[in-house]
Amino acid sequence: MEPCPRNRGAGNLPLDKTNVVSGAMTKFGKLEDVTLREMFAEAVDKATLGAGIPKKDIQAAFIGTFIPEMFIHQGHTAPLLLDFAGLKGISGTRHEAACASGATALRAGIMAIESGLYDTVLVAGAEKMTSVSTLLATEALAAAADDEFEASIGLTFPGVFGIATVAHMRKYCTTEEDMARVAVKAHKNASTNPLAQFQKEITLEKAMKPIYVAWPLKLFDCSPISDGAAAIVLTSNEKAKEYTDLPVKIIGTGQASDSMNLSGRSELTSFQSSVAASKQAYKMAGLEPKDMDFAVVHDCFTIAEIIASEDIGFFKPGEGVKAVNEGITALDGDKPINPMGGLKAVGHPVGATGVKQAYVVYKELLGEAGPNQVVNHDVGLMHNFGGTGATCVVNIMRRADA
Amino acid sequence: MSEKPTIEAYKKNIQEENFKAYKCTNCGAVINPPSGSCYNCGGNVMEWATVSGKGTLISFTIITIAPEEFQKEAPYYIGIVELEEGTRVTARLKGFDVENPAGVELNIPVLLDYEHGESGNTYLAFRPE
Repeated sequence: MEPCPRNRGAGNLPLDKTNVVSGAMTKFGKLEDVTLREMFAEAVDKATLGAGIPKKDIQAAFIGTFIPEMFIHQGHTAPLLLDFAGLKGISGTRHEAACASGATALRAGIMAIESGLYDTVLVAGAEKMTSVSTLLATEALAAAADDEFEASIGLTFPGVFGIATVAHMRKYCTTEEDMARVAVKAHKNASTNPLAQFQKEITLEKAMKPIYVAWPLKLFDCSPISDGAAAIVLTSNEKAKEYTDLPVKIIGTGQASDSMNLSGRSELTSFQSSVAASKQAYKMAGLEPKDMDFAVVHDCFTIAEIIASEDIGFFKPGEGVKAVNEGITALDGDKPINPMGGLKAVGHPVGATGVKQAYVVYKELLGEAGPNQVVNHDVGLMHNFGGTGATCVVNIMRRADA
Repeated sequence: MSEKPTIEAYKKNIQEENFKAYKCTNCGAVINPPSGSCYNCGGNVMEWATVSGKGTLISFTIITIAPEEFQKEAPYYIGIVELEEGTRVTARLKGFDVENPAGVELNIPVLLDYEHGESGNTYLAFRPE
């Protein structure tokens, strides 16, 4: 048998039908007096009506929300949100994978288009987190870890990443200052992003302020508690032409899982789900890390960005820090990472994050990222993981004319 | 030891300071925390395993900002320990200085112990050998 020249995908499944034709996000942050359904509708309106896509064209919706049961005492969110946003009647399903809820919703949307079941679908994510006290929000977030065996002994979310940090520090000589530089970069990029929660640069000294959350992680190593929503519209190739001359193609997708328990993992300086998901996505796209112009990765903590940059193959294990320190991952570097400011400075409304990441990649690829525009923008990667990395989704996107 | 292990019994054993891990009856792999299937061979029939209590410290953190239930206990160490039987355990660490985490070496030998928290719970813990 002739070897496939593009080596695309296990099971001969090239992704060649899915187009992103529009995207939008709300402001992220503490959105006073804005409820979950209102922010959802704002993002959906921008991504549909705002882009010249009539709502009646949307045939199905895939919606990421993490734990509205605890934040706003509301389950069964898909029909609720669709109804408020003027989409009552269509198929709507909620997807939950902790912080990867948005990207798992996106994967369902991709599969719906690739299968031919639908030709125009909405993918959206939203979370309202500031409706409860920080203490309750922390408790809600802890539900993304193994409650029975880890949360029950007092391990917190930052604690999990604190453990990964210590392992990374001792193996690769990573320092607290290295991590602080990731925070400084995130805030610098977000300073020109009007939708970011924090739009102010911070100094290295401020990022190093010794307010420990879970040693060696400090306050400025952690992403904030946020409200916000994001939405994108996916279509088939035929349908895309009705809405835009220049869509963005999703050409590779991968998803993997890992043990919820850290004790179930043999490696703490790398997340195996990230490695596996990115390998699947690269293989499907027939591309390699060197072909990526930039990446948007899941920087729920500064150490998470460093590890992700290694797990997706941008840098060798242990060399992610060097890349930050040399400015390679800066907005004007060779491999920009989180050019709009990441979770760290833009905010992390859990269910919205994965969809927001796809929106950021979309805007960058089109060259519409304004002051946050990366220089090379043909192909980009998004990496969204859930909880302690027990779920990871990686998607590779390319501008249609590239 | 012939009874079928359950998660409830596993947790009760820890409260009674009588920690037991799971063991795959097919390949003999020691497994912790409880799992319905063996990481090594996929076997799904488990029995109890007593362990020596000797382990190696793999990594750790100090929880400063704790959930409400544990606030009175903070700051406290949590670590990952690899037992000499091969499986890993997430547990409290005791006998380490919370003021000097930078001085805690990894890969040092540690011993199984228990810690009585102000929350009223007994935690699985490890202390320096």
